[in-house]
Amino acid sequence: MKNNKKTTNIKFKDYVNYVLIGALLLYGLVLLLTGGLRLSTAQLLVQMGYSIILAVSLNLVVGFLGELSLGHAGFMCVGAYVGGFCAVFLKQAMPEMKLIILIISMLIGGIVAAVFGFIIGLPSLRLKGDYLAIVTLAFGEIVRNVFMNQQAFGGARGLTTGSIIYDTRRSPTLFIAVFVVVLIMIFVIQNLVKSKHGRAITAIRDNEIAAKAMGINVTFYKLFVFIIAAFFAGCAGVIYSHTTTPVLYSFFSYNKSIEILVMVVLGGMGNLTGSIIASVFIAYVNFILQNQLSGPLASLRMLVYAIILIVVVIFGNAPALKNFREKYSISAFFSRFKKKDAANRKDDEAKWHRVPTKIKMDAILSTDLNPNSDMSIHGDLGNNDGKGGDK
Amino acid sequence: MSKKIIALVMAMLMLVAVFASCTNSSGYTSKNTEYFIGCTGPLTGDASSYGISVQNGAALAIEEINADGGLNGVKFKFDIKDDQAAADKASAAYDQLFEAGMQISIGSVTSGSCEAFAAKAKADNLFLMTPSASADICIAEPNAFRVCFGDPDQGILAADELVENFENIGAIYDKSDTYSTGIYEAFAARMAELNVEFKTESFDAENKKDFSTQVEALKDCDVIFLPFYYTEAGLVAKTAVAKGCDAVLFGCDGLDGVADQVDETVTNTIKYITPFDVNSKEEKVAAFVNAYTEKYGSAPDQFAADGYDAVMVIYEAMKKANVNDVTIAPDALCDIVKSTILADGFVYEGVTGSMTWDESGAATKTPIIIELGK
Amino acid sequence: MITLIDGLSLGSIYALIALGYTMVYGIAKMLNFAHGDVIMVGAYAIMVTLSCSLSPVVAIIVSVVLCTLLGMIIEKLAYRPLRGASPLAVLITAIGVSYFLQGLAQIIFGAESKPVGSSWKLPAIPALNKHGITTAALVTLICGIIIMVVLTLFIKCTKTGSAMLAVSEDRGAATLMGVNVNKIITITFAIGSALAAFAGMFYLLQIPNAEPMLGAMPGITAFTAAVIGGIGSIPGAMVGGILLGVVEKFCLASPLSSYTVAVKFSLLIIILLVKPTGLLGKVSREKV
Repeated sequence: MKNNKKTTNIKFKDYVNYVLIGALLLYGLVLLLTGGLRLSTAQLLVQMGYSIILAVSLNLVVGFLGELSLGHAGFMCVGAYVGGFCAVFLKQAMPEMKLIILIISMLIGGIVAAVFGFIIGLPSLRLKGDYLAIVTLAFGEIVRNVFMNQQAFGGARGLTTGSIIYDTRRSPTLFIAVFVVVLIMIFVIQNLVKSKHGRAITAIRDNEIAAKAMGINVTFYKLFVFIIAAFFAGCAGVIYSHTTTPVLYSFFSYNKSIEILVMVVLGGMGNLTGSIIASVFIAYVNFILQNQLSGPLASLRMLVYAIILIVVVIFGNAPALKNFREKYSISAFFSRFKKKDAANRKDDEAKWHRVPTKIKMDAILSTDLNPNSDMSIHGDLGNNDGKGGDK
Repeated sequence: MSKKIIALVMAMLMLVAVFASCTNSSGYTSKNTEYFIGCTGPLTGDASSYGISVQNGAALAIEEINADGGLNGVKFKFDIKDDQAAADKASAAYDQLFEAGMQISIGSVTSGSCEAFAAKAKADNLFLMTPSASADICIAEPNAFRVCFGDPDQGILAADELVENFENIGAIYDKSDTYSTGIYEAFAARMAELNVEFKTESFDAENKKDFSTQVEALKDCDVIFLPFYYTEAGLVAKTAVAKGCDAVLFGCDGLDGVADQVDETVTNTIKYITPFDVNSKEEKVAAFVNAYTEKYGSAPDQFAADGYDAVMVIYEAMKKANVNDVTIAPDALCDIVKSTILADGFVYEGVTGSMTWDESGAATKTPIIIELGK
Repeated sequence: MITLIDGLSLGSIYALIALGYTMVYGIAKMLNFAHGDVIMVGAYAIMVTLSCSLSPVVAIIVSVVLCTLLGMIIEKLAYRPLRGASPLAVLITAIGVSYFLQGLAQIIFGAESKPVGSSWKLPAIPALNKHGITTAALVTLICGIIIMVVLTLFIKCTKTGSAMLAVSEDRGAATLMGVNVNKIITITFAIGSALAAFAGMFYLLQIPNAEPMLGAMPGITAFTAAVIGGIGSIPGAMVGGILLGVVEKFCLASPLSSYTVAVKFSLLIIILLVKPTGLLGKVSREKV
């Protein structure tokens, strides 16, 4: 019975991811073919595309491996600069073959970013929790600072990619290529997570020492996850460099990393569909707030963003609100996805509570004093039992 | 599994289909009822004084044009989008304006933004006459022109001026800014030409608050050349006071606006190059200053004057070419305006002086140097 | 020499901010990302008070009181509901609070940086000024040291101080011993925020412009300093802060000036790789 439920559940999730991306792609295509696609909509679709790539790849690190990374924008930065540089170079060699330029530059940008992912994965073997988080943050800032000082990459004035802008003004087609990349990535990551390697990764998240005792090669898997995540973040960076000129180091500050983290958290850690929805949502909100409001109203962007963040996180996590949440969240928040809802939501919740075992702050300390926390512990156990090991 | 494969195959097919049949999505201007002049500039953020001034100046020009009945009875419309002096925001704002039916533009207010704006404008062949983006790269394209001085001109002028009047020369510049490096490079080249030694310090966008290190190093100079914007210049002036440095501070047109940043405790002399003298007795300038002061409650600075001139030049050129189609495409309008402006004998008498243009897009006019508080 | 003094004075600003981070971490076990923005609020409080032509002393009092209250309110509204929830959730909320404060400041004061007013200024001491030592740097350094000494004494010698130590050591045991943990956490936030107000004040002495993003970079740097010193350790925060301040100033004065950010953060990574819990941090073993 249980097994049955599990398999159908996962299958449905697969399906949902592809359908979501496909729907976005189709929306763009229909508009394009009917000639109604505005430039800014095409731009928005591209932004959604690379946001999805960033969020899903970060989710692999934070949600599945359980290491908090605040330097994801650093990988994007590497990809954007290296890939952008390659593309400018290739453009001179073969000006007409845009798709090939995009593919080659994306591979090179992704691979260089993956090398950086390996480098940043090394400290993760030695450092834990908050310490690793600050190291990844530091990494992002270092990368940005170093690129800022490379004259070959345009120095502090940014890498001018004006001549390689992938889209022609008449027919913006970059988003199609982007969504194909997104589909490939979802395919890779989803199958990775479902495979025995994925189970090894989540085992490391849930208890590193136990995983080691079971004979899982922790070193290999940690580096592996960082490399994969960095590769895709690098690809996202290359896409960014194909739409924006100049590629400027200031874009990749830790605020960008945090924005990606917010997508992951809003969508639910360890939940790929959630990441996709959240990144589409945030890219859209950013787009609306940034482009539609001008003048003093533009500062509302930050405020709105902050309030959404605080309310969603408190609502979703406060121990005191647990009963309330269980009563109302299904109808209020997930009514649009009613079918898959009941099973999924519990999934996320269980993961929420499980991740902290890695992001280490004394577990005992968080369970005292507050009369509600007792409840939350029981709640956890209940949940875990209830849906019986989704991995 | 099969569903996945089908999805992928579908996506690939669509990809091929779309590359085969490219469609056209132009024609944003077909619904225009007024000539639409677009612009991006910093309305918030550190350089906001420039953007707001240009906005005010340009709006005043539009008002005057429309009060005179517009061009052949068709009125003008002006819209400025906030880009916070950031290139990527200017690039996004350009798309917004273009889709809203922009036909001609006064580009961007600051150099970095204008570079991005010009890159997109080139693809659409949209005319731009920037009021204040002085970097040469902003007008590198054939469709781009400017009202203000170029960075190299200011650098050379400053070098000549400083060498003539001072012994010990120091310079600070912003490495991350197109405007600042543009002036500085020309300045350094000219100094080398004149065979004069000088000391240099620099900073970048990440470190533009604390100038104690730079001022400390240049403390003994008679004059410090500051080719950057007024917010940082104000901080440099205050640091100089705190460090007991009494050098003259000499800047370029970016220093316009520094008066609000410094107070009576700053004792250093501050001078800068500008094309516009608010106290000028000339009739045209006086009329502009009066109208501006009446409308906005404060005297115009150089950027307001540049903004006013940029719009007026476009209007004059369109009038001379007798443009008579309110839905004219940016592309066509660009060719008309460009050939008019480049034609022999086109001279524009503006509030920032008398100007002519050549193929490079740069305006020829004479600068003046003014001292703050004098 | 001058660089050293400038560096020490910048370092003591970082140390004051880092103390706020480290105390909150030690006691509430959370990273208060919004700490840097409390500095910004303090700076604006000073600017606004001065623009009402009140004296600088009033401005300092207003700023400290406001920041202390703000710290307590933030704790009460944003962090307390999440006590017992996942630390990551708390971290994200802290980031949200940080964005909220920045956004609010942008709406109220605009995004541009504004000069703080001419009365916010220390008289120059000519003898020192000749050598390029600013009064602000000296005052910052001296006051910074005084504040740190007072804080250390407070924690060592008062009852509240020992209660704080107890809570950070073992919250469960502290509760059993009759310590009101909620109260202690509120006090910690209050002290941390007051320190941030002082940091904002010294910051304005050296850089007399206030802007919404003012706290972001010093905040991150001070956070780095706290981690270098070993997060949770009070002497560690001081050491880390001063170390980073001196390194930053020397770096700026050297030909490597444009790599300052990289050097600061590389220092962090190197120290953490050698000592994974920071210079003075406690080593904890993970048990199965």
